[in-house]
Amino acid sequence: MPRFEFRLPDIGEGLAEAEVAKWLVAVGDRVNEDQPVVEMMTDKAMVELPAPGAGVLVEQLAAEGDVVKTGAVLYVLEADRPVGVSVAADEPAPAAAATPAQARTDAAGVLAPPAVRKLARELGVELASVKGSGPGGRISAEDVQRHAAAPAVAAAPALAGGRRERLRGVQKRMAETMALSARTIPHVTGFHEVEAGSLVELATRLRRKAEEAGRRFPFDTLLVRATALAIRQHPIFNSSLDEAAGEIVFHDDINIGIATATREGLIVPVVKQADALKLDALAAEVDRVATAARDGKAALADLQRGTLTISNTGAWRGGFGTSLIRPPEVALVAFGRVEEKAVVHNGEVVARPIIPMSVTFDHRVIDGEQGLTFAITLRGLIEDPWGLER
Amino acid sequence: MVAGDQSDPADVLILGGGPAGYVCALRAAQNGRAVTLVERARVGGVCLNEGCIPSKHLAVFAAAKAGAERFGRAGMPAFAGEVDMAAFQLSRAAAVDVLVKGVAGLLAGAGVTVVQGSAWFVGRTRVCVAVGEESVRYFDFKDAVIATGSCAVPLPGLPFDGARVVEPSRALEWTSVPATLLVAGDDYISLELAVAYARLGSRVTLATANDRLLPDFDAEVSNAALRGARSAGVEVKVATDPVSIVGDAERVAVSAGRVPNLADLHLEVAGLAPGVAQLVVDDHLRVDRHVYAIGDVTGAPMLAHRAMAQGRVAGDILGGKQAAMDVHAVPRVVFAEPEIGAVGTSEAGATDAGVDVMVGRFPLGALGRAVIESSTSGFAKLVFAQESGVLLGAHLAGPRATDLVAEMALAIEMGATAEDLALTAHAHPTYAEQAMEASEVALGRPIHVRPPKR
Repeated sequence: MPRFEFRLPDIGEGLAEAEVAKWLVAVGDRVNEDQPVVEMMTDKAMVELPAPGAGVLVEQLAAEGDVVKTGAVLYVLEADRPVGVSVAADEPAPAAAATPAQARTDAAGVLAPPAVRKLARELGVELASVKGSGPGGRISAEDVQRHAAAPAVAAAPALAGGRRERLRGVQKRMAETMALSARTIPHVTGFHEVEAGSLVELATRLRRKAEEAGRRFPFDTLLVRATALAIRQHPIFNSSLDEAAGEIVFHDDINIGIATATREGLIVPVVKQADALKLDALAAEVDRVATAARDGKAALADLQRGTLTISNTGAWRGGFGTSLIRPPEVALVAFGRVEEKAVVHNGEVVARPIIPMSVTFDHRVIDGEQGLTFAITLRGLIEDPWGLER
Repeated sequence: MVAGDQSDPADVLILGGGPAGYVCALRAAQNGRAVTLVERARVGGVCLNEGCIPSKHLAVFAAAKAGAERFGRAGMPAFAGEVDMAAFQLSRAAAVDVLVKGVAGLLAGAGVTVVQGSAWFVGRTRVCVAVGEESVRYFDFKDAVIATGSCAVPLPGLPFDGARVVEPSRALEWTSVPATLLVAGDDYISLELAVAYARLGSRVTLATANDRLLPDFDAEVSNAALRGARSAGVEVKVATDPVSIVGDAERVAVSAGRVPNLADLHLEVAGLAPGVAQLVVDDHLRVDRHVYAIGDVTGAPMLAHRAMAQGRVAGDILGGKQAAMDVHAVPRVVFAEPEIGAVGTSEAGATDAGVDVMVGRFPLGALGRAVIESSTSGFAKLVFAQESGVLLGAHLAGPRATDLVAEMALAIEMGATAEDLALTAHAHPTYAEQAMEASEVALGRPIHVRPPKR
């Protein structure tokens, strides 16, 4: 029987490595074509890798918890028939995904071309402290310039002793994304108290109707829809900044990410074309991606191409906080818990259900007036939500 | 001129006009410094006058004869008669003259003042130069650069006599091919001399107490050098004391290493490390606040291109520029049979340093160009870091390896990977293809040889 070496394919966006989360097939067991063999945890999600053909799994080359490089052999299959060579097997791992910095064996130990070393000297940058963005950790002129422009980091204070855990997977991705966000984006946040009586009434009615039909209707559906419709009127909120080109990119589709807490950490499944889907379909889609994300089973495609993120902290009781935008997005809308609050109506203090809302935007792209008018539009869509039902 | 306390100011005073000194002088002058350069013989130093240039002239001359003979079976008329060494020496001297005049012209054009004489320190910032037989001049320098080079040392028990037993430089000046020649040494200098004179018709014995030739090269290259020398007609005796087999050899050339020329400089007077064998410099090439050292006086590897690189860096530092000596990849070349070009780490060196490597070997027998020229015994051996694929070392044996190693040096300096080399189109049919092919071997997907078994 032909022996087939299954190599870890590039499971998205040039990922360099992934962690073996769980073997679903034991050594010696038969698998059918397309049957999931192993669950891999990447920076972003849990991904199931199906068998490329039917046969018997004869060898696992990594244990659960091992981190495997893209292109490395993951398992060996005694296939019933020759298996089409997987893409990753005959194509080298993309250069960018090669490895972390590899010290050279000479004294310098830093991988940078001569002209870059010269630039570093001129800018007073210690090359050893620069993270190279190139293959093998190669340091480019841009890396040096970026490092020179970054504010000096104070020496790390001595750490108190304690248990150490490697930063990886979803958490590592969060650390990188949020650091990039805080470092590069000038954040501005506006806080708003929005009357939510009608929204709750509409949501309750739609949920009851859906449940009668055996379907579910997540509350987030209406928040996603309202945000998407507000974006339609304020397309700058659906853009990205291409700094290198000096251009703002206006995205064609309105794809709303929903910040979701999972066992592995924070991930953001995306509902595509959230303004265009019929409301039933939107509800189903919100339910599907959020459930998959919570179960750690989100498909990579469901984690990509978001254009604006909403965060609904209302599921938990609690205060109200600021948010960080997820680059390359330029805004984020956060909602709190709907609670009755005292408001003044026609000179009378009355109790009304209020949903706290904050709109955070990237002030490089969006100015204060645009931020405020967007918030006013969104507030209107929530306070008078009947148009969301279409 | 009167000897005395009169002195001339020198903004930058460079002692030695070899490849380190003259390059430093030109660069410092480019950077706006007023440069005085002291040279006791001719500018260009050992390299130009009695080292690199004449030795390569001899090697190329001998290789041309061997090349013609290699095409004998392809119809090239047989080479008849003995080479005219006297005529060769005239042409060699003429070539050296052209280059020395070229350097002198560059220095004059750059406004560098060249003073002929021998120099030594007479104070912390003062140097005395003996000009001619009787007169001396004093210079008070702001910055000084020591670039006085090195000289050959003899083997114990086999002193140079200037006629029969000579240092390598003298062996380049012979006007006849000795009938028998003993070359003592294991380095590239001995190997080049042995192969050149064997090709020119001498009966050559190359002897070294070491157990291999080129001991500081990758082991496979050492083996290729040994086989190649034998194929060129050299009798190679390793693990043999050369002194014991001098016998009645007509000539004996000894390459037993070189030592820096420091003894006559009176470094102690300037408060600089007296009595040291070589000057230790930081990566700014300083031995003291205002004293720099470049070239062979800074120790191994004593190579002209390293000296020139140091000269450029020192010239930039003297010009107030942010510069440092941080050349990773200094290539080493051997003009013997075969030619050898090596740069970076050997396989053993990488392994000893604890680096996992992948090695790509490509035999020249699989290269069209090498088959045409009946030069199929060489190879390219590239050493990459296993994890990153970054090139760590290149070891080439074969025609033009001395030129081809330049690509490898650039690749190392740029941090190129096996993929970079494999994906770069190399012209066909050329020897340059071996770099691409060897990289593909390392990646397990060669085209022109069978893939290694996985």
